[in-house]
Amino acid sequence: MTSLSTLLVLAQAAANPVGTGRIQGGWGYVWASYGITWAALALYALSLWMRRPRTPFGSKE
Amino acid sequence: MGKLLHRVLPGVAVVLLVAGAYLGLFWAPPDREMGDVQRIMYVHVPAVWMALLALTLNFCCSVTYLFKPSWKTDAMAEASAEVGLLFGTVGVLLGSIWGRPTWGVYWTWDPRITTAAIMLVAYVGYLALRRFVEDPEKRAVWSAVVGIIAAVDVPIVWFSVRWWRSLHQVQSSPKTVDPLMVLPLRVSAFAFLALMIVFLARRYLIALAERNAEVALPEALPSDDPATRGGSGASKVVA
Repeated sequence: MTSLSTLLVLAQAAANPVGTGRIQGGWGYVWASYGITWAALALYALSLWMRRPRTPFGSKE
Repeated sequence: MGKLLHRVLPGVAVVLLVAGAYLGLFWAPPDREMGDVQRIMYVHVPAVWMALLALTLNFCCSVTYLFKPSWKTDAMAEASAEVGLLFGTVGVLLGSIWGRPTWGVYWTWDPRITTAAIMLVAYVGYLALRRFVEDPEKRAVWSAVVGIIAAVDVPIVWFSVRWWRSLHQVQSSPKTVDPLMVLPLRVSAFAFLALMIVFLARRYLIALAERNAEVALPEALPSDDPATRGGSGASKVVA
């Protein structure tokens, strides 16, 4: 009985920390994410410009 | 319509992208548990949404091409696969970065992440197929079939977090998040949507110009074989 109540106390103690913490900092991950996004979008836009048709589609040439 | 698509929309997309970044980085509150790291959501989620949207468009174009062949449909299929792959790659990459501080690892074989990786590999294969097949008509038919097969994974990616007990969280909705987080996500999502439409329109024109050049080439050059005079099979496909 004693061991059961000890287990119960331990289980409650283990459950308490779940969801109570908060990640501190992490701005490096945030800036890396935004940087990668902007770089990828800018590079793809550049690649589209480099590959653009020489004569616009639908022109009479 | 052309002016709106090629001149106005890119400007709108850039303004919304800057506004979304400002709101997401400085205006939105930090998450209760993830803190500031959660700000990655404002670019990760829209990127994945646009990938799924573009690849669904690819599926629609693939099915349409098989029933009603058209170079325009084929060109849009090519454009949507490439743009979808771009946004999908960005989405998976950002998810991996977000996973490091929250899960402790950059990569884990979670159902959502695994199915997303399969999706990327499938569309890399799709685009590789388009590069390797020279005959435009065969290329269009084969890639349409591969596009339909690859699209099977798209809904699995979306529903994977609901179907399986997963490390990746289930999709949030405006009812389940802080109202101050809804606005940055919406602005960012519209920015990505505008950008995706611009990319699709530009890439579509490139693909269509390539198709026109490929189809026109056999007719432009004299052929020794009488059987091939009067145009190749490819030119029979109505644009």
